[in-house]
Amino acid sequence: MNFVTWFGVLAVDEKGTVSECDLFQKDRDELAKQLVNTEVVNANKPPLGFDLRAAAVECGFVGSNEEYDELLRDVGIRAAKEQISRSGTTDMRIIQSVEALDDIDGVVNALSERLAEWYGIYFPELDLTTEPLARFVSKYGSRSNISPDDSLYEKAATSMGAEISDADEELIKAFAVNVCNLYETRNSIEAYLIQIVTSNSPNLAAIAGALLGARLISLAGSLERLAYFPSSTVQVIGANKALFKHLRARAPSPKHGIIFNHPLIKNAPWWQRGKIARAVAAKISFASRIDLYSGKLDESLEVELARKLEVIRAANPKPPKKVKKSGGAKSGSKKVRRHG
Amino acid sequence: MGVTEISSGIFTIIKGDTKQLATKNLVPGVSVYGEKLVEVEGDEYRSWDARRSKLGAMVLKKFDIPIAADSKVLYLGAASGTTVSHVSDIVPEGIVYAVEFSTRTMRDLIQLCDKRPNIVPILADAAKPRLYAHIVEMVDVIFQDVAQPNQAEIAALNAKQFLKKNGFLMLAIKARSIDTVASPKKVFKEEVRKLELDFDVGFEIFKMYELTPYHEDHLGLVAKMRPENRNNKI
Repeated sequence: MNFVTWFGVLAVDEKGTVSECDLFQKDRDELAKQLVNTEVVNANKPPLGFDLRAAAVECGFVGSNEEYDELLRDVGIRAAKEQISRSGTTDMRIIQSVEALDDIDGVVNALSERLAEWYGIYFPELDLTTEPLARFVSKYGSRSNISPDDSLYEKAATSMGAEISDADEELIKAFAVNVCNLYETRNSIEAYLIQIVTSNSPNLAAIAGALLGARLISLAGSLERLAYFPSSTVQVIGANKALFKHLRARAPSPKHGIIFNHPLIKNAPWWQRGKIARAVAAKISFASRIDLYSGKLDESLEVELARKLEVIRAANPKPPKKVKKSGGAKSGSKKVRRHG
Repeated sequence: MGVTEISSGIFTIIKGDTKQLATKNLVPGVSVYGEKLVEVEGDEYRSWDARRSKLGAMVLKKFDIPIAADSKVLYLGAASGTTVSHVSDIVPEGIVYAVEFSTRTMRDLIQLCDKRPNIVPILADAAKPRLYAHIVEMVDVIFQDVAQPNQAEIAALNAKQFLKKNGFLMLAIKARSIDTVASPKKVFKEEVRKLELDFDVGFEIFKMYELTPYHEDHLGLVAKMRPENRNNKI
């Protein structure tokens, strides 16, 4: 029986002694490549109880136990490094971008609020927030810099805000410039995500939207894992807290996880949301599977989803009547929105 | 300050009325994950936090640790190598095969392997031992900490492939990764039953304890393969 080891292809006779050894070249990089080569990984492996180390010495591949340890360790490290450098997939780029987007959102909101409070000392009448505010401050600094033909001139001239010193103006302007940069980075990450998801997973992008698609891939861990999930899981990913509360205690099951952000669900009346979430999740599953295996855009998915929605809407035009439970039981039908 | 060896390569350092678990540093001067380095009587020791290591907790729970200075150890679920580094300290004349599936944590593990002479990193799925059977030899000890729902099966598959007849399996079972809802006691009982009866190789369990207070809802156990199971199947 022939089988492969990290140092060569061997054969043993009926007694289990090595009868043939076809050794690999003793080049560390070559050995490392062999080690993780799919053909080798999937090839016939040594029989149970086979002593690799003794065979390596017997075949003359290494001269001693120490050499065996040293060589195998070095080859193992090289092989693992090779595998790692090969693992930087599109999915990982998508996941890191989504995470970066969320991080920036968190930070930029906090900084914008700070800027609003800070600049409010000098120009409280200014009715701007978030990105427009940051742009305004980084452009003008002091409200005395607003030119007379600007629509804000009147407000600025009569403001009750404090006078700003040069040092303060410089500081707050630099702060605002940084906030602006963060908004710009955020927008370019978003554009990048839309582009990469649309080209890599066209069906997912068509059904879920590129950004929601990216989030689903990120939460699942990869497009492959998302495709392998049952769509009941797709329906509730991102609603972990509600789901486990449901499994552990008597809480109602969550209707939607992150897919709540899908405009079809978000904008639906509350009594249709669960049904629509189920339909959308089912189509997302289809879409991610097509993307994983063929990658070609299948336009029939969207058509089918639209038809399914028609059916749901037609069947549930009015909110269901709330059933009052008798016998003093707590009414459990209170509307609770569950996601996140 | 005094030091006692409580098991081969594993020490307690006594300083006043505090005791600290430690291993002798194989690579003096280097701290792996920010642990304290302590010098006693000319030797450098790395302190070992049982709360960060299931093996460490098993030591404090008075398990007999079947690892000797020249042991060959297959470590499944090596993660970033916190515990692996201590195992590497315990086996200065042996070797540790460290299997980890996640490329992210393997990045950290490789940094560790680069600095130590006796760890072989293997980026592979521990549930598929045939896929690394061309690398790993027969070992004296399998230590497994994989937090997978089928961890008993993973242990059996690897033991069948790699464990010497008289070798030991050391297993940390995480109840929450098998069933998030069921009571841990029930989960442990079921896992132990599986290890004894369900697979090609059956285990005889020598000792098991829950690892509280160091790790919640974890069971540690030490087992050996029952000899009769070994021969009836290849």
